[in-house]
Amino acid sequence: MTLKYIGKDITRPDATGKITGRVQFLDDIKLPGLLHAAILRPDCAHGRILSIDTAEAEKLPGVVKVVTGKGCEMVYGDNIRDLTPIAVDKVNFIGQPVVGVIAETLAEAKAAVKKIKVEYEPLPVYTDARDALKKDAVLIHENSGEFWHLPGIEPIGGTNIANRYTVKKGDVEKGFAEADEILEGEFNYPFGSCSAIEPHGSIAWFHEDKTIEVWSSSICPFIIREEVARVYGLPICDVRVHIPELGGCFGYKSDITVEQTIAYLASQVPGRPVKWVATRKEDFLSTLIGHGIRTRIKIGAKKDGTLTALKTEILHSTGASADTGVHVLIASTHNSTGTYEFPNCFLDGYSVYTNTPPVGAFRGYGHQESHLAMERMIDILARKLKLDPFDLREKNYLGPGKVTALGETLHTTNGNVRKCVEIVRRAVFSAPKAKAEDENYYYGRGFAALMKSPKGAPFSSKSCYLKFNRDGSVCINMGGAEVGQGLRNVVRMVAAEALKIAPERIRVYTEIDTQFSPWEWQTIGSMFTTQGGRAVVRAAEKAIAELKKTAGIVLRTEVDRLDYDGDYVFVKSDPTIRVPVPELGRGYTFDDGVTVGDVVHTTADARLPIQSNPDENGQGRMGITYTFGAQACEVRIEKKTGKVIIDHFASSFDVGRVINPVQIRGQVAGGVMMGVGAALHEELKFDAEGKALNPMFRRYRFPTIKDAPGRQTIEFVETPGEIGPFGARGIGEHPVVGVAPAVLNAVYDAIGIDFYEIPLSPEKILEALEKK
Amino acid sequence: MSEKITFTVNGTPRTVEIEGGEKLIFILREKLGLTGTKRGCDDASCGACVVVIDGKATKSCTFPAKKLAGKEVVTIEGVSEGTNLHPIQTALIEAGAVQCGYCMPGIVMELYALFNRDPKASDEEIRDALELHLCRCTGYEAIWEGALKARDYLAAK
Repeated sequence: MTLKYIGKDITRPDATGKITGRVQFLDDIKLPGLLHAAILRPDCAHGRILSIDTAEAEKLPGVVKVVTGKGCEMVYGDNIRDLTPIAVDKVNFIGQPVVGVIAETLAEAKAAVKKIKVEYEPLPVYTDARDALKKDAVLIHENSGEFWHLPGIEPIGGTNIANRYTVKKGDVEKGFAEADEILEGEFNYPFGSCSAIEPHGSIAWFHEDKTIEVWSSSICPFIIREEVARVYGLPICDVRVHIPELGGCFGYKSDITVEQTIAYLASQVPGRPVKWVATRKEDFLSTLIGHGIRTRIKIGAKKDGTLTALKTEILHSTGASADTGVHVLIASTHNSTGTYEFPNCFLDGYSVYTNTPPVGAFRGYGHQESHLAMERMIDILARKLKLDPFDLREKNYLGPGKVTALGETLHTTNGNVRKCVEIVRRAVFSAPKAKAEDENYYYGRGFAALMKSPKGAPFSSKSCYLKFNRDGSVCINMGGAEVGQGLRNVVRMVAAEALKIAPERIRVYTEIDTQFSPWEWQTIGSMFTTQGGRAVVRAAEKAIAELKKTAGIVLRTEVDRLDYDGDYVFVKSDPTIRVPVPELGRGYTFDDGVTVGDVVHTTADARLPIQSNPDENGQGRMGITYTFGAQACEVRIEKKTGKVIIDHFASSFDVGRVINPVQIRGQVAGGVMMGVGAALHEELKFDAEGKALNPMFRRYRFPTIKDAPGRQTIEFVETPGEIGPFGARGIGEHPVVGVAPAVLNAVYDAIGIDFYEIPLSPEKILEALEKK
Repeated sequence: MSEKITFTVNGTPRTVEIEGGEKLIFILREKLGLTGTKRGCDDASCGACVVVIDGKATKSCTFPAKKLAGKEVVTIEGVSEGTNLHPIQTALIEAGAVQCGYCMPGIVMELYALFNRDPKASDEEIRDALELHLCRCTGYEAIWEGALKARDYLAAK
């Protein structure tokens, strides 16, 4: 296939607006009569609210309304309705909203918050699933098990288990009986924060005509619209949600979270818009956090390295509500095989309520957590069996004809892990290690293979509206959220290729507005290029068919005799008989004014190919588009400090088709950096009382340019997929998945010490070296 | 207590009324409508709010408004001329440094101050300057390349 635009470095359409500071983010929005909200959060992570005294706050200048949760009966959630917009009679985590103050200025609202007094009766605090699962643990939700939930979610009433998800494939005990070697390990991927530089925020406005208008720095406008409409008893069409420019997401601006809180506050002051933007501390503790996953793993293998059985137990400290975290657990569980075929599996996952902020999507969505366990275990297993770790992996890779834990058979179109492995192997392992150590450093190299399957939903879809203008230029409108990943450019380049029009003649939407934007489920799971791109191709094909239909009338011929080249619709056998495309966009007008044909504007959508809920074995069509990759690194460990320095990081993914080389490199380079942050620096810490110890950048240890790998090798394999445009698959999340195990495997190679949890701080390395 | 102060923003003298502990970021964003300057953190650690004051890259989130009198402030709105981007902006775009874009105004201003002071700033000086800025999207690779490219562009000018 010769492509004209796909695969070229075409500059993204939003670059100029962003580099000049002219684009509008949520905090830049001003509205007439705008009020500001500040929110009181508890100083106790689990406790009954005994009293709230707002009298002093209410007297302060500028204060319009002080709102508590007293009497609030609203519950919400997209998967499990275990969320309330504001604490009602109990607080369950340190970032929960307890009282909202609405004032004329933000300074006035903040001043009033300081005057509110709340008394709590403290309850036992659990910050780790292991504690919340103990027999005598109190219930974080006393009505646990009774919440409305989607089919396929299995809460266990009377416990803190919000969901148990189990995958059974084959006979795991038989598999272990056949094994010559059985290895067990336990790994921990602690809490982290997506930490986009733009904090999350929202504006809500209850209009006099009973409609509701919301602005949010969210990637889920349609979920917000549907859930706000549901809780306020309005038809969905009466809620309008705007998404301005987004300053990064990485997962945690998905689902519906702070929007319901701000809507609840705004509902108390109808007629005036209320704005709230998270402080950095609130962004850490009052939106969504990531990870909190412990993976217990048991692997069986034959002497020759053939894997026979896998048992995993995944304990997820999901936080005070499980709505946003339940699918992270599901994805982590069914992907805990990593890139390998195990004939016998028993994969057991638990979402457990804890007194920590709710976990939600974090780039990688459960994959990096279970890959840390699997890719470390494979290296350890290879040592035990005295096999080369590459050979051990090679024997067991998933690929065409192999069957995943979910029971899905893979095909060539799912991509080729071996080609990715070869690329990073060549980049990092082609020569013997130059040296094991010198005066100042230990040197090591590590590897990890990876597989990513997006967690979708059966009803997931993305839609495209495409219209031809009278000069032949084209406007495209979609509901996909541009968070920085560059999807607007993907839309434009795919449309250019499909329509055979230069990208400069295609204008892609900027903000999303549910009043005008075509429906989209939510922009998650590295699915936009695949699914959104498919919708664009379909809309383009429809538009070309429309142009041909009108041209057929004009040229008095059958449509199937016509062809289209972006400039003209012409007769295949004699291209001189033709109509310029601009003359067809609004229907064709003859010299006498008679007009034929329709306005050329089309809509199309693209659902996930097939997706199903899990069956009684936890299996089903849930993997959608598997993508494979491999990552490796060369590290240096400073003897004096224990600091790990990454000199070289190599990544390769089978993405099916590279749409834009600069953008895809940026996705991978940024994702790797995020993975490095998790592996070496970042952990959101809570003390035994559930109070956060480091909810600020200075103490969270966000990586800077000086933490970046010395260099990155980034290459792609292009085995076309069957779903995405021109064979493309997603890439957004994949680069974080193999980083931590690759780094920890390299650390073992350097100093001969196995680590089972991250972040691997210099102190931990020094301590381990001393003990050695 | 409020007081009136006059300072220059992007070449134009402006007089604003300020109160007690207000910071420059608040004056720029809320009183002058210059929303290109961004707030990202609350502990002066992310660099999204950097502007140039009397030639020096400065975090506007901690700079007290009452110290503004007589100062010359340049914000992201004052860097390009009409539709002509500054070479720093062009270089960052070409290198693919713009993803979500939220950290970009601060980084542009940091480099603007650096290259105005020394168009031949060393790699080390550039790295030291960029270390003051957090970016979650790019992994810094494209920002680094963009900064080097900007130095080339300015040298060729």
